[in-house]
Amino acid sequence: MKYLFAAFFISISLLMHSQEFPDINLNNLDGNSISVKALTDSSDIKIFSFWATWCVPCINELDAIADVYEDWQDETNVELIAVSTDDARTKKRVIPLVNGKGWEYQILLDENQDLKRALNINVLPYVVVVKNGEIIHTRTGYTPGSEEELYEVVKEHSK
Amino acid sequence: MLLTFCFTVNQMSAQLLDNLRVGLESNMAWYNDDKRTGPFFDGENNDGDEHVRVNSYLKLDYDFLENFTATVQIESYEPLALLNYSPNFEGTDFGIYSLNYRSDKLEASAGHYYEQFGSGLILRNWEDRQLGLNNALLGGRVKYMPTNFLSLTGLYGKQRVGFETADSDIFGFNTEIDISNIFKFENSSLNLGISYVGRQEKTDIEEPNFDELTNAFSGRIDFSKGNFYANAEYVTKSDDVFVINGQVINSFVNPGNALLFNTGFSKKGFGLDATFRRLENMGFFSEREKTGNVFLENNINFTPALTKQHDYLLTNIFVYQAQSQVVFADPELMEAGEIGGQIDVFYNIKKGTALGGKYGTKLAFNASYWAGLKGDYDFDNLTYDVDYFGFGEKYFSDVSLEIRKKWNKKMNSIFYYVNQYYNQRTIEDNFSGEQIKTNIIVGETFYKFGRIGQSVRLELQKLWSNTENHDWVGGTIEYNASPRLSFYVNDIYNSGTDSSTSENHYYNFGGSYNKGATRFSLNYGRQRAGLVCVGGVCRFVPEATGLSASLLMSF
Repeated sequence: MKYLFAAFFISISLLMHSQEFPDINLNNLDGNSISVKALTDSSDIKIFSFWATWCVPCINELDAIADVYEDWQDETNVELIAVSTDDARTKKRVIPLVNGKGWEYQILLDENQDLKRALNINVLPYVVVVKNGEIIHTRTGYTPGSEEELYEVVKEHSK
Repeated sequence: MLLTFCFTVNQMSAQLLDNLRVGLESNMAWYNDDKRTGPFFDGENNDGDEHVRVNSYLKLDYDFLENFTATVQIESYEPLALLNYSPNFEGTDFGIYSLNYRSDKLEASAGHYYEQFGSGLILRNWEDRQLGLNNALLGGRVKYMPTNFLSLTGLYGKQRVGFETADSDIFGFNTEIDISNIFKFENSSLNLGISYVGRQEKTDIEEPNFDELTNAFSGRIDFSKGNFYANAEYVTKSDDVFVINGQVINSFVNPGNALLFNTGFSKKGFGLDATFRRLENMGFFSEREKTGNVFLENNINFTPALTKQHDYLLTNIFVYQAQSQVVFADPELMEAGEIGGQIDVFYNIKKGTALGGKYGTKLAFNASYWAGLKGDYDFDNLTYDVDYFGFGEKYFSDVSLEIRKKWNKKMNSIFYYVNQYYNQRTIEDNFSGEQIKTNIIVGETFYKFGRIGQSVRLELQKLWSNTENHDWVGGTIEYNASPRLSFYVNDIYNSGTDSSTSENHYYNFGGSYNKGATRFSLNYGRQRAGLVCVGGVCRFVPEATGLSASLLMSF
């Protein structure tokens, strides 16, 4: 079995390709069910940022983007969708935190991590950039200044 | 001809692969003998020879025929699982397999699935690889949404334990009703939820004082209007038997219940949230004998600690864990549950004000308090009688303030203060446990320089306590060479007299490389014995020294 596993892994890694965004419904802060597939079927670029209220680098990233978000939107029409992966323990903190910080992002709740699991995300923060339903860029982790690199990707594809 | 054939095959495989999502995670450890903390030994598997361990997960999701998805997850724990994973994770096998159908009104799953009813107080199936937790159900589930205001779920399954399943049957039913949609409320929302979960498990006990079928019901209401929201949940569980160290005590049978209330108000620049929860005998396991097991196996419901989850090394030494179960360990140590709550306040001091400065200042405040249920506990006769809203012995409190300040385009700082009370005796069920009070401060600054993504981060931490055992100091230095490449060194040190940690440096250093959805990290260091906590659930990990590596990929 373990050799099969190894062989399988090697053959799979030779076939890397761009993937489509999975079709899952998540609730927004008003309790309405939103189809993420419908959100991504747009020629405007969407950034999905997976975060949690307890994840310090995630908050750092979303705070940093919040400072320049207006400019980004004016220049490229990009939209950031902040997908909270908080479960029952910390979910209550999402609304007051988002409003307290004055973030202008669309917020979706992935409470039992269905979307996170479907995209095979293991580490937060995790950013996925989507255009016309296709994933064009992903990034794991956040270091100060990475948002500038992210914006370069957005600008390049928004032409 | 051949060319056409090759082209077609290529096209077909490209199309087939377009619908395939692959995720790979591999975590490796090479445990060393440590001069200070002793030679490597794995107590769970009684092994001192297998120094190299690898946990790997390969997950494939394949979408086909528009509405279908097939999922398999192969897991491998070779030659043995990482330290303190359940011994049930052994070898290589299929961990998860499922076939799912999905349309606008109907969803159906056969095989393994993850479900959650409400906040999970009655049922939650989930996976956390760091915690070694996967309690998916293996069976079938149907979700039907006949209108835009009604959703119905029915399920049956056996719970996953290691590569096997628990020896019981789980039944569940859930309804969600969107009242505001029925009556077309304009600017408020009202939702109701009702759930049932049943556990059918045979027992070897002669003349049991409990039924083989244990029933749990949950009712929920969720309201919001403008900037205000409130929600409540009540759960009852029918008579369930007390278990100590895997032994069923037939003469000690009680029902359980839980009450959760949450409310909040927020507007731009300000957020307030308050939660109250009371749990009484709410441990709920797919095998009675596994009640309270240390590997977090067989959990049917989810009762996380409702406290702030901190993200710094010294703030995570004394971590509260929800006391949902009945504990009758000793005449001096009896519990039936917990009662308490927490408050969060978020405030953004505006730009351009004296305290806000050029970029504004962000504040986050949290306070939580948890206690046992007040009442009469009789150890000899195995009975208890508790008040509904009475606060008993204090278990835990935590007050924290976080201040985030951006100084200029290059530099940001975070200041963090935490005051904790930790009742070690009741939280850890440790007879000789202390009442520990701590004050912790953390200062963190990062500074950007040079090209895009280049920065340094410095973090200093200090913990003072009321006992001679704990007096900690710690720090981290991180250098980010680019958005892809980072290096770090950290160390925490206890100059107190605590016999297990005193005068040991718990140091770690390493680096990570990210490219797209691929991440590789390498670390060397000494791990403190303690709790690894993810999402409010904690698992104990032993002290260990060694090299660890992790590879994550998805495509």
